[in-house]
Amino acid sequence: MYALIIDDSRAMRSILRRTVTDLGFETLEAGNGQEALDHLEAGRVPDLCLIDWNMPVMDGYTFITKVRANHAWRDITLMMVTTESEHGQIVRALAAGAHEYVIKPFTPDAIAEKLEMLGLVARAVPA
Amino acid sequence: MTVLAEPTLSDVQMVVEEVWSSFLGAEEPLLPGMPGELATGWSAAVTVSGAWDGMISVEVPTEMAEEVTRRMLAVDEAADEDVADAVGELVNMIGGNVKSLMPGPSALSLPVVAAGRVARSSDAVEVCRLDASWAGSPLLVSVHVHRPTQS
Amino acid sequence: MTISPTSFAFVSDLVRRETAMLYDPGKEYLVEARLLPLAREAGCADVDGYVDRLRNDAAERAKVLDALTINETSWFRDNAPYQAFTETMLPAMLAAREHVRHLSIWSAACSSGQEAYSLAMLLDQHLPSGWTAQILATDVSTKMLERVKAGRYSQVEMNRGMPATSLVKYFTRAGSEWEVSDDLKRMVRTQSLNLSTPFPLLPTFDIVFLRNVLIYFDLETKRDILRRVHQVVAPDGFLLLGSSETTLDMEDHWEREAAGRVQIHRPMSLAAAPYATSLTPTAGAAAVWNPTAMTGA
Repeated sequence: MYALIIDDSRAMRSILRRTVTDLGFETLEAGNGQEALDHLEAGRVPDLCLIDWNMPVMDGYTFITKVRANHAWRDITLMMVTTESEHGQIVRALAAGAHEYVIKPFTPDAIAEKLEMLGLVARAVPA
Repeated sequence: MTVLAEPTLSDVQMVVEEVWSSFLGAEEPLLPGMPGELATGWSAAVTVSGAWDGMISVEVPTEMAEEVTRRMLAVDEAADEDVADAVGELVNMIGGNVKSLMPGPSALSLPVVAAGRVARSSDAVEVCRLDASWAGSPLLVSVHVHRPTQS
Repeated sequence: MTISPTSFAFVSDLVRRETAMLYDPGKEYLVEARLLPLAREAGCADVDGYVDRLRNDAAERAKVLDALTINETSWFRDNAPYQAFTETMLPAMLAAREHVRHLSIWSAACSSGQEAYSLAMLLDQHLPSGWTAQILATDVSTKMLERVKAGRYSQVEMNRGMPATSLVKYFTRAGSEWEVSDDLKRMVRTQSLNLSTPFPLLPTFDIVFLRNVLIYFDLETKRDILRRVHQVVAPDGFLLLGSSETTLDMEDHWEREAAGRVQIHRPMSLAAAPYATSLTPTAGAAAVWNPTAMTGA
């Protein structure tokens, strides 16, 4: 399984990389929506995108609308991971095609639980 | 006429505590009150514009900025560009959540990070100020709005 | 520093045994900071006095574990129990309660209420129109019950297992927190209840969630709690325990069956009969599950 981590902060990409690597993903990274699209157009199509909202060049919302406009990328699971936490913004992202939404700050458990819900991570046997 | 709307201190404190405990470990809690003088080494700010206009900034001493960076990036040495990135992400998270405390919709800017103190326009009024300490070191989170022009 | 080495050793030992979390020497200040509010609430003069009390008080031990383990409760925690709820228990109960069109559910040891509201969300999505449901959320801590009533959760709590579609459907922003909708709040009632002592008057429940709390009690108390729970579960109702908890080795009043990845328990007497036909109720029998019984408590 491949996860594409899209965030303009290297610190945040590092946190997300460690989180999803622990869950068994291999990772690709992009510093904004355009770099992420470049990955996709070059054939590096991941199973999952973790997408920040506010980024230079192309924001995460625009990236989602572009991915959803291309039928070939319909199987990619899109999860926003952003500090944008207004009710209306979450509704907008879901309407544009995001499957899930995690609000920063988050703990690794929160990411794991969402990916379990999406069926991308096998559920850990509860203790 | 602009209203000087401001977030409450307890809401801002909650936001900052959540950011700190999520990314910097729960074992060192963020405590209210400053232990001594804050010698600002790094500062970062984001602006919110739309239904509410304001600026959220974070100021920390150099040692704390570097420790935060090492923890977030999981590295042993923090280069300046890493510190700028990490401190910028902190203020992004705090600012985005403060934005959600206020009437929306509004847009959040990308963070501006400075080695030293962040510049503010002269008509900026501080409406909320959180003095805190983490691991024995002081930090400051503040919210500024523009003074409404009198007419 | 006022916590004694003996008290600190007792607490760190308790936490390590129950959660495998380590509080090494040097973390005394942290243990003390977390326990002091609990000690005050319990009316103890200092943390050492409170720790002495922990030795004989399972309910307080549970609070200490809560305070020291920082395990935010997730929405739809572990998921499989909720899947069993919508796929097995709910369809059975919808067939069985067609005559009253009301379900009565108990979220026992509800803590801050994520379980009760998770169930309320599922009921909102799956109850046919014309049906009503009441969820009784009980806990020994009145502070927790106040939180359930307020229905307000921090950003970090909201991230834990809450589907984004449910977040926007059932919650609104309230300062730095999110607040659950009035519709869901109306479905959930709270009541103070200590599981280890005789229950107050309770209605008969169709479904009981009693998860991850029996582990804090000794075997005799567990048996006693399950015996008393048995008395308030409808003969054709369900009991769901935590994944590490079971009625095995307890008294044999429960029938266990698998529902997906979890075990569900049914009171022994009727469980052998298929649920729908075990009822074919008369008007008189329906009175047992009369929802008006809920208003008395």
